[in-house]
Amino acid sequence: MIVPAPDPTDETLAARAAAGDDAAFETLVARYQHRVFRLACRLTSETDAPDVLQDTFLQVYRNLPSFRGDSQFSTWLYRIATNAGLMLRRARARRPAESLDMFLPQFDGAGRHAQTPEALRMVCHVDELLDRRALAQKAQAAIERLPDTYRSAFVLRDLEELPTADVAQVLGIEPSAVRQRVHRARLMMRGYLSELAGVEP
Amino acid sequence: MTEIACISGVELLMEYMEGTLAADVRAALDAHVAGCARCIAFIESYQHTPRILREATAREMPADLQASLLAALRARRGGVGDDR
Repeated sequence: MIVPAPDPTDETLAARAAAGDDAAFETLVARYQHRVFRLACRLTSETDAPDVLQDTFLQVYRNLPSFRGDSQFSTWLYRIATNAGLMLRRARARRPAESLDMFLPQFDGAGRHAQTPEALRMVCHVDELLDRRALAQKAQAAIERLPDTYRSAFVLRDLEELPTADVAQVLGIEPSAVRQRVHRARLMMRGYLSELAGVEP
Repeated sequence: MTEIACISGVELLMEYMEGTLAADVRAALDAHVAGCARCIAFIESYQHTPRILREATAREMPADLQASLLAALRARRGGVGDDR
């Protein structure tokens, strides 16, 4: 019986690609293009994602010789893609993010949740209340409104589901800072969804 | 044990979920939440938020984009290593 050779690791392919093996580079592209595209959509928009995607892999190709392997290839790639998304946003000179503070949870004078349990729980059903298309548009618009630092952390941690430690490496910040940013973003996004579900803030 | 109100419980929620709270603070939060229907509902909605946005923003890469990406990368690379 012939035992198939295991797929080469990312790091092995990266080393081969750095040494000029273009097939190894294209294997890495094939392996990661879907994830980078999805990330790019979430960080920018579906319209801008193809540019971010191409820019990311061009930078990967150019910088492979300096990839030292002291972080995982995927972490290094996510860092390049996240920065490419950020650069594109800056180039587009989008309007500054509007404050989302109005969506933060409300409390009464005694520090109790101001809303009833039923109202607080409405968020869980927003995807049953809105049709898919409307929710997709609103969700993208909500993420768009997050400040850059919160958006990157939230997208990587909660939407791409990277572990907190990996997000910290990608963004070059402490895990505690990742948790703080993601938490703040979750609270804002939760309040935004709550309003979509018809609950008064 | 410190008394926890909903407002401080909300601030601790991420650390709670990630298991990075000190044991005594965690116990105080557990004690508060156990008797607070609003916090139970809030936590549920907090946990659903990433899932709802993740599902709503999941995009598939179009097949024609895969082909054009490969073509663009090949064109920009030129010969092996020319672009580096």
